[in-house]
Amino acid sequence: MSTAIGGVVVLDGSVVPDREEIGNKAHSLATMHRLGMPVPPAFVLTTSVGKRCAGGLPDDVWADVLAALAHLEAATGRRFGEELLVSVRSGAAQSMPGMMDTILNLGITDAVEATLAAASGDAAFARDTHRRFRESYARLVGQDAPADPHEQLRAAICTVFASWGSPRAVAYRNHHRMSHDGGTAVTVQAMVYGNLDDRSGTGVLFTRDPQSGDTTPMGEFLPRGQGEDVVSGEVDPLDLADLAQRLPEVHAALLDAGRALERHARDVQDIEFTVERGRLYLLQTRVAKRSARAALKLAVDFVGEGVLTPAEALARIRPDHVATVLRPVLDPEARATATVLARGEPACPGIGSGRAVADPDEAAFAGEDEDVVLVRHATSPEDVHGMIAARAVCTEVGGRTSHAAVVSRELGCPAVVGCGEGMLAAVEGRTVTVDGTAGEILDGIVPVRTPEPSEVPALARLVAWAKEHPDAVAADHPLVAL
Amino acid sequence: MSSDMEIDEFTALHGLVLKKAGQAGEVAEVLGATEAEVAPALDAAVAEKRAMSGRGKYMVTPAGRAWLDEQYPVLFADLRADPGADAAYAGFEEVNRELLALMTRWQTVNVGGEAVPNDHSDAEYDAAVLDQLAKLDSDADPVLEVLAGLVPRLGVHRRRLAEALARASAGETDYVSGVRVASYHTVWFELHEDLLRLLGRTREP
Repeated sequence: MSTAIGGVVVLDGSVVPDREEIGNKAHSLATMHRLGMPVPPAFVLTTSVGKRCAGGLPDDVWADVLAALAHLEAATGRRFGEELLVSVRSGAAQSMPGMMDTILNLGITDAVEATLAAASGDAAFARDTHRRFRESYARLVGQDAPADPHEQLRAAICTVFASWGSPRAVAYRNHHRMSHDGGTAVTVQAMVYGNLDDRSGTGVLFTRDPQSGDTTPMGEFLPRGQGEDVVSGEVDPLDLADLAQRLPEVHAALLDAGRALERHARDVQDIEFTVERGRLYLLQTRVAKRSARAALKLAVDFVGEGVLTPAEALARIRPDHVATVLRPVLDPEARATATVLARGEPACPGIGSGRAVADPDEAAFAGEDEDVVLVRHATSPEDVHGMIAARAVCTEVGGRTSHAAVVSRELGCPAVVGCGEGMLAAVEGRTVTVDGTAGEILDGIVPVRTPEPSEVPALARLVAWAKEHPDAVAADHPLVAL
Repeated sequence: MSSDMEIDEFTALHGLVLKKAGQAGEVAEVLGATEAEVAPALDAAVAEKRAMSGRGKYMVTPAGRAWLDEQYPVLFADLRADPGADAAYAGFEEVNRELLALMTRWQTVNVGGEAVPNDHSDAEYDAAVLDQLAKLDSDADPVLEVLAGLVPRLGVHRRRLAEALARASAGETDYVSGVRVASYHTVWFELHEDLLRLLGRTREP
C-alpha cells in the first residue's frame, strides 16, 4: 500500500519520515506504528506541504487530505461527518510557544452529537464535547466552526500552518536564532473514547517508577475517563493492579507495549493510553521525567541490563542530579529528639536555620550579619527583600501555589507554607530549623549532615565509571570531583 | 518625557510600598510615571517624615505607613462601594489562582506525585506553559480593562504584563517568574497588592 499521498503521509508503520518533515509528535506516532503498537490511525501534512499553504490550502493538497481521510475511515470503520471525529495538532521538529494548540473532536455536528450520545449513553458528555469543540475552534481558528465537517478540517489545517508565522513563534525563533524555514507539520488523528462503557477508560503508564527508579511499572487508570481527566487529577484513578483485574488482556498488552517502547528508546517511557470498549490505544509516548535519585539508579540499572554502556549512562547524569542527592539532610538522631513547633506544606525543599523574624525589614537588615528565618502571616511584594536575606521562609496561610511559594522557589529558599494560625506566635523570636522538604519547623538548630557518596545508591558506581571513562563526562562534573 | 500624570505624595508613597525600598525610577515604573514626576513627591514625603531616603533609595516610615492606611478608605470610598469593582476583583482572584498554579507548573514538574524542580530541559513542556500563560493573559485582560476603567492608573500594569509576556515567550525565561526582574509574576504580585490596598481587602489564603 502506498502511504504517501502527495505530501500527505498516512502513518501506518510502513515508513517513518524524518523528524524535520513531520514534527516530533508525529515522529513518535510513526515510530509506535512501526513497532506494531496499537495507535489511533493518523495522517500528517508535512512541513514541505506547509510551505505551499501560506495563502490557504491548494486544491491538490486538499484532494490528498481527502484521500488520506478515506484511509482513516477505512481503518476505523467510521465515516467522517457521521461518527469519525479527529484531532488536529501542530508539530514542529522543535517545540516552541505560539503554535496553534490542539483542536479535539473536530467533525462534530448536531447529528454526530446525537450519535455520540447514543453510543456513550451519556447525552451530557456528548453535549459537552460539542460545546468544548465550538469554543476551542472559535478561539484557535478565530471564527465560528462551520457546520460542514470538511470545512472545519480545511480551516483548522490552514490555521495550524499559519501559526508558524504567529508573532510569538517568530519572536521565539529570533531569540533562539532558529531558522524561520523549518515550518510546522499538521497531524490529523482519529479520536478514541475512554468513556463509552465499563470496558473503557484512560490512563498513563510509566515503564518504571520515575520517583524511585524501581523496575516495577507504575500507572493510573480511570475507568470511563476521557482525555485530560487523569492529568487534571480531579478524580482518583485506579492503579495498574486494578486494571489487571478489570481488563487483564489490556493490562498485559499495555505492559508488553511499554517494555517494547522502553527497549526501543533505551529509556523509561511515560505513555498515555485510552481503552475503548476493551481495545487498547496508545496516544503518546515520551521519555519520562524523573527524580534525581531515580536518574542515578536508572542509569546504573540500564548498564546492568546491557541497554547502555557506562559512557552512555554517564551522559545521562546532570550536575544537578548529583547536587540534589547530596543535599544536606537533618541528622536523623538529632531530628528524632527535636521538638516540632509547626507543620505546613513543603513549598521549596532544603534546610534552613536561624532566628525567626516576623518583620521583613528586620530580616533584610539582620540577614546581612546573622542567619534569620522570615516568618509571616502571608507575604506581599514588600517581603521579597526579606526573603532574599532569609535562610528559610514560613507562612501561616497559603499553599504551594501561593506568591510566597513561587518567590521562595525562585530564590531556592527552603519554605514551609500554610502552617496555620498561631505559627507566628509559636515561632517568632526563637531559633528554629526549617525543613522545606518535610514541611516542618523544628525548635533550635538541628544539625544537618551531608550524605557520603557511598551512602547514595548507585552513586559510587557512577563515580567509578567517571574515573574509567574521563571522556564521557565534563571535567567540572561533580561525578569527577567525588 | 512626561506621562502627564499628577503624582501627589499619596500616589508616590503608594507606589513606594508596592516596590518596598526603591529608587525614584523604580517607583515611577510601577506607577507608569516618569522619574521626574515621582522624585519631587517622594522628596516631599521625606520632608514630612513619611519616607526615608539614603543612597538614592526611598523607604516608607512607620508614620508614612499609618498615614497611607488612613488615606485609602477616604480616597477610595467610592471605589469600595462600587459593585463593579467587587465583581472585577472576583474575576481577578479567579485568574490569580490559575496564574499561581501555572507559575508552580513552570517551576516544578510532577514526577510520580513528587514535585521536582523543572530543569527546563523539555522544550515541549515549557512551550505548553508559555502558551497557557498567553491564554491566561488574554483571560485577564477584560478584568484589568474594567479595573483600569475605574482607576486609570491601573492600566500601567496591563502594559507591564504585556511586556513581561512578550519577553518570556520570546525566550527570556527569567521574565516568567524571576524575582529580580519585572517578570510576569513580579508585576502580577505588585498588581495584586495594588488592588488589595485600594479595595481594602486582605490576601486570600
